[in-house]
Amino acid sequence: MSALEIKHLFGLRGVSKNDIRLILDNAKQFREILERPVKKVPSLRGMTVVNLFFENSTRTRTSFELAEKRLSADTVNFTSSNSSVKKGETLVDTLRNIEAMKIDIVVVRHKGTGVPKFLADNSNAIIVNAGDGAHEHPTQALLDMLTIEEKLGTLEGKNVTIVGDIRHSRVARSNLWGMTTMGAHVTLCGPSTLVPRNTELMDKVTWESDVKKAVKDADAIIALRLQKERMDDALLPSMREYRNTFGITHELLECAKDKVLIMHPGPINRGVELDSEIADGEHSVILDQVTNGVAVRMAVLYLLAGGRANA
Amino acid sequence: MRNVILDNVRPFVNGKFEKPTKMCLVDGNWAGEAPEGTEVVDGRGAIALPALFGLGLDFKEPLRDDIYTFKDGVDAMRRGGFYGGLYESSANAIDDSLKLAAIQQISAKFGLSIAFLGAFSKNYQCKDLSEMVELAQGGVVGFGDGNQDCSRTRFLRLAMEYGSMTGKRFFFMPLDDSLRHHGLVHEGCYADTLGMKGIPRVAETVSAFRILEMARFLKVPVHFKQVSCGETLKLIETARAQGVDVTCDVDIYHLLIDDSCLLELNSNCNVPMPFRSAEDREALWKGLESGVVNAISMNHDPVLAQDKEVNFEDAVPGAVSLETALPAIWKPLSERLGAARAVELLSTAPAQLAGVAAAELASGKRAELVLLDPETPTEVASSMFAGQVCNSPLLGKQLPSSILGTYINSEWRGV
Repeated sequence: MSALEIKHLFGLRGVSKNDIRLILDNAKQFREILERPVKKVPSLRGMTVVNLFFENSTRTRTSFELAEKRLSADTVNFTSSNSSVKKGETLVDTLRNIEAMKIDIVVVRHKGTGVPKFLADNSNAIIVNAGDGAHEHPTQALLDMLTIEEKLGTLEGKNVTIVGDIRHSRVARSNLWGMTTMGAHVTLCGPSTLVPRNTELMDKVTWESDVKKAVKDADAIIALRLQKERMDDALLPSMREYRNTFGITHELLECAKDKVLIMHPGPINRGVELDSEIADGEHSVILDQVTNGVAVRMAVLYLLAGGRANA
Repeated sequence: MRNVILDNVRPFVNGKFEKPTKMCLVDGNWAGEAPEGTEVVDGRGAIALPALFGLGLDFKEPLRDDIYTFKDGVDAMRRGGFYGGLYESSANAIDDSLKLAAIQQISAKFGLSIAFLGAFSKNYQCKDLSEMVELAQGGVVGFGDGNQDCSRTRFLRLAMEYGSMTGKRFFFMPLDDSLRHHGLVHEGCYADTLGMKGIPRVAETVSAFRILEMARFLKVPVHFKQVSCGETLKLIETARAQGVDVTCDVDIYHLLIDDSCLLELNSNCNVPMPFRSAEDREALWKGLESGVVNAISMNHDPVLAQDKEVNFEDAVPGAVSLETALPAIWKPLSERLGAARAVELLSTAPAQLAGVAAAELASGKRAELVLLDPETPTEVASSMFAGQVCNSPLLGKQLPSSILGTYINSEWRGV
């Protein structure tokens, strides 16, 4: 097994093409295993993984847990609602207490940017970012990349358009770093209140305000979930106007390529960022993304743990 | 040690450095000679600068003496070469004469030249006026509501109008709370890359413009604390040219650090006024050169380790600065602006803003000084800081110069 250059997975910004390639190639092998009658391998037998989720999550946590179980790891789920965090325990104390129980890997989701790195700086465990604030969600981007490669053969030279709330999206950030590293051309599109204003460091992507132009040459379109809180914060006037302006509809797809892939990180607001007929239609690869999520997370855990074992 | 002879030092007198000489410091004065047996310190050709004056001191006592005390603060001042400062606490609003008397009494025990800002509203709430006339009679040198934004413009008008009876200056950190909107860092490419909520420059300029218009209307002198961008300096320059009595300072760290520090996610870089872009930092330096900026402020704000040993966004904002300010800033400041302007910005001008006598060096006169070796670097270690805190963005970094000792309030303390 080749080793990753990275010791933890904080995000995809700065991660090398070789590392991403290695993760995706391993994920493809795990993807095959997931199709077998017996889906379990002994790769992480004897290792303990803690899923440390300070934010609500259903699919990401479940996907990680399945990945861990299929690698034969022992898993512990920790959510802030049933922990001492409610009693005022600090993040470091929480981590140190969990670490004292001799764990190996921590999968963390937190509202704060940089929490995975902070935990890595303060512990000996391998840290995997399952989403930190609006910063990064690297395994989501990796599963998006795996899905595109699976359907289109390669990311190199492909046009990927991400539509929606880019400003608050950790999925968009991870995708733009990862996909551009892998040679895809990324276009970002959203309402002016939901796209970043200062994009000097994101100069490898194209910014487009007209959604019809943004999807025209796309090989894959990723629709981002629109959070209802954005309306309360006056960032948008209504779901209705959003849907009519930026929603992925049948009418919009008439402007796109015939075989364009439709993707979504879930959960979907049907009839807002994505119409039901599109979400369930022939272009949609959303359920493939979910399956690939388990494979990608298996690959990430396997490779990071292997790196530690080989060290 | 009350008496000391500093041998082979270059004192800064009348705007320039003298040739290497021997300074006899006796009972607080620069004397012609020292009593027999006085300890001699080899100054190794270091420069003896007038002690500094720190704008923006928050020593937390009495309400948060679990974090930091006046004793800690005075210790920090002595370590860093500060003979005085302007005190304004986020934890303790000095909003009546009893509170003022209590804090003056604590301060008096230490003998340093500490002046106080009174709050213009009770408990910094921008709802009820504080007793500004009595506070002024009690000795406050101006009024300010900590780092709070007074969003109620009518209240701001009434506070400034009422306070105008005292003739005192109003101090503001210009930052519009509504535009800030829970932001912690500069709204720029680093914040957007990291997905962090940003504070746009316009949050500062909108607030500054509103205050300047009020100052113009009411003819009340105002001071802006911790100006962080060039656009605000332009507003100040324009208003000043039109006759508005407005002064301003820039925070020492804003001259040294820009928002590229965010990539390190160091919670010690979480401060009330965000570090802005490299262009803004350069604009602040130009403001020092042109004279638009009156002084460099310290904004010494202790935060406990447990409140900083968290991820960036959950950290309590604030940084301590007194111990490291001079060795951090002297070299770049004096090289770019000259020693005389550097001394003015760090000592004379801030003291003047606080209505405190300057600490000028002259043979035969009272001496408050700091001995600095400009060419020997210092590594910032937690042991450099007073009290139980070390929340400095410079922790672990190398500073270009080092302090050899200070003579403050008739006491020599070597490092």
